[in-house]
Amino acid sequence: MTATLTEVDKDGPPTAPARTARRPWQGRRLAPYLFVLPAIALFATFKLYPIAWSFVLSLHKTVDGVDTYVGADNYTRLLDDPLFWTALKNTAVILVVQVPLMLALATGLAVALNSTLLRGRSVFRLGFFMPMVTGLVAYGLIFSVLLNKEYGLLNWLLSGIGVDAVPWLTDPLWAKLSLGLALTWHYTGYNAVILLARLQTIPGELYDAASVDGAGAWASFRHVTLPGLRPALLLTTVLSTIGTLQIFDEPYILTGGGPDNATLTIGVYLYQNAFTYFDFGYASAIAYALAVLIGILGVIQFRVLGDKP
Amino acid sequence: MDMERRRVLRMGGALAAGAGLTGLTACSGSGDTGAAGSAGAKDKGAITVWSWQGPAAQMKALVPEFNKKFPDIEVTVQDIGNPAIWDKITTAMGAGGSGLADVLHIGVDYLPGYVEKFPNGLADLGELGADRYKDAFARGLWETVSGKGGKVSALPWEANSAGFYYRADIFEEAGVDADALGTWDDAIEAGKKIKEKTGTHLLGIDKPASEADAANFFQLLLQLEGTFYFNSDGDITLDSPEAVRAMTIIKTMNDAGLVSDLAGGWTALETSVKKGTAAVLPWPTWFGGVIEDLVPEESGKWKVRLPPAVRRGGTNAATVNSTHLAVAGSSKNQAAAWTFIEYVLTRPASQVKIYKNQGIAPALMKAYDDEVFHAPSTFFSGQKKGEIFYEALRAPSPAFNYTSDYARALKVVTDAQTKVLLKGADPATVLKAAAGQLAKQTGRKVVR
Repeated sequence: MTATLTEVDKDGPPTAPARTARRPWQGRRLAPYLFVLPAIALFATFKLYPIAWSFVLSLHKTVDGVDTYVGADNYTRLLDDPLFWTALKNTAVILVVQVPLMLALATGLAVALNSTLLRGRSVFRLGFFMPMVTGLVAYGLIFSVLLNKEYGLLNWLLSGIGVDAVPWLTDPLWAKLSLGLALTWHYTGYNAVILLARLQTIPGELYDAASVDGAGAWASFRHVTLPGLRPALLLTTVLSTIGTLQIFDEPYILTGGGPDNATLTIGVYLYQNAFTYFDFGYASAIAYALAVLIGILGVIQFRVLGDKP
Repeated sequence: MDMERRRVLRMGGALAAGAGLTGLTACSGSGDTGAAGSAGAKDKGAITVWSWQGPAAQMKALVPEFNKKFPDIEVTVQDIGNPAIWDKITTAMGAGGSGLADVLHIGVDYLPGYVEKFPNGLADLGELGADRYKDAFARGLWETVSGKGGKVSALPWEANSAGFYYRADIFEEAGVDADALGTWDDAIEAGKKIKEKTGTHLLGIDKPASEADAANFFQLLLQLEGTFYFNSDGDITLDSPEAVRAMTIIKTMNDAGLVSDLAGGWTALETSVKKGTAAVLPWPTWFGGVIEDLVPEESGKWKVRLPPAVRRGGTNAATVNSTHLAVAGSSKNQAAAWTFIEYVLTRPASQVKIYKNQGIAPALMKAYDDEVFHAPSTFFSGQKKGEIFYEALRAPSPAFNYTSDYARALKVVTDAQTKVLLKGADPATVLKAAAGQLAKQTGRKVVR
């Protein structure tokens, strides 16, 4: 790169004196670095540095206000902590049950929103995407009001058709379902929009060709739409996986991780350790365990979904 | 499940990380803060006060009077809200005190944690002259605010005794004499009668533990037995026979259908009071004012007494919690902050005024000389409510050791209680498991 640049400069206008010719050369070499400097500096200060520091922190334990080096103690403690495993299990359940359901729903939604038969498509697109831009806390509060057992809207509607009050947030199983419900409401539209964008790049001729070959709606969906969506599906799967593993706001606001830890996620458990128990070292260890987990799952998903044509 | 989620979590990580860093730097710079701490004039400066709802309003109301005496101290009282204030103090202390107020209102449940995890987080009030008030407060409270090495971290404000607020009209309808209840076993029998005759539950508990204080009643029973989650050495006493007994009382009540579910925490409790779903509210001193605010039209239907004992002949007085004012170690106006604290907490007139407006029971014993504590209350059927709780405060009450791991203890306790109430688990088994888990988390010993 430098070599080419130098050569270009040598070939520059012969009238220019050698000394002044050097300056733009130097400037040009420096300029890109200057341009990326603010971003790099911000990234280093607010991302790299905390990330590195929380690793150092994860090797320490605070005793009487003094940080003591304890090596991998916090990590071995993780393996032996039933609540960490509960949190991991809860998160895994959401990952295995809620994410596939939501993505299937999002795919269906994307196809529907792409359909020329639908009138007012942009209104619907906007409507389904809206939850995404709703503040997490606001939507958490709205759901907790809707789902309240005693005076929630949902139970009031159910009582209208003679159904007993459902303990949406206060029964271990229902609380899990409610959490899944809230997540689906919030993120389906977002994923649908990503899928929709990809859907619009699938050439119409492919569908024409398929119909000429006698393919029905289902067959053309399976053999044209789905393969066309593959990269977008990979993206949404990976993003949803990462998001689910880090899930925090919804359980924090809706249930606080309860009842009896039925909706305790890794994110909530991390928060509790750091800000309720002041155990920053252990919380950092949880964060690193989580990061490793996300890395592994990401690689697996790229292998499974990404390689094929 | 997207970029935003990641950002939020990263932010959390960054906060945690930043907190740890400044924790270190705070330690190395502690000499400086200490020296600067005693600086600042006693009657000059601008101070900020952090508190929540009622108490914040009361302090605000005291400021004009205070300024007549100390015109050069500018006081800003901020209502941070409870429980938001705890996270806010934690983060600010983690950041070496940057952004922290000068005066902090801290509950007994959080004080030991702050003192232990942030040794320089709170100023030593002893240096500012707090020791002269050693005997001015209710028994057991000085042990709570003073720690190792004679450091005084805070000054007591309110001292709440265990109470037993009840609907006299419902008791009467069921033909039960509330004054005759000697023990909680008696109360359970009475509860069965009340349920049968009036359909009202005996009391309410937040069964799924939607809020951290869902185990209030369990804790109250323990305190009536003179025990707690930890003993004075800081060892775990969660599966002591006393604890098992307390949880068994709760289970018996629940199995008999006497416990209404307060799922949802505070709002559910308010609804329950308004709807009258429970005949008894086993809440401390401060709750009387809340009832008066919630159901003013039920004046004369309510009564109050101290709770029944757990065992026959046992005590029915327990100081269940207290709150305190402290000065931040990072404050540049510690002397002025102390002047304000002294004015609010050690001057009987201030405390009497606060009690009149908000019903916050003072820890300052001298305040009880005022007649307001000895006047009959129309709302509570002509009873002298102030005197009832004053008697409780004067009774011997052990200092309960909350330790820096109270929040963790609370978590395992509420989980255990939820298992008992929702899944019918055996009290001894769940408490044993809870004690074991707490020991593992904290490195403390379990003793019985």
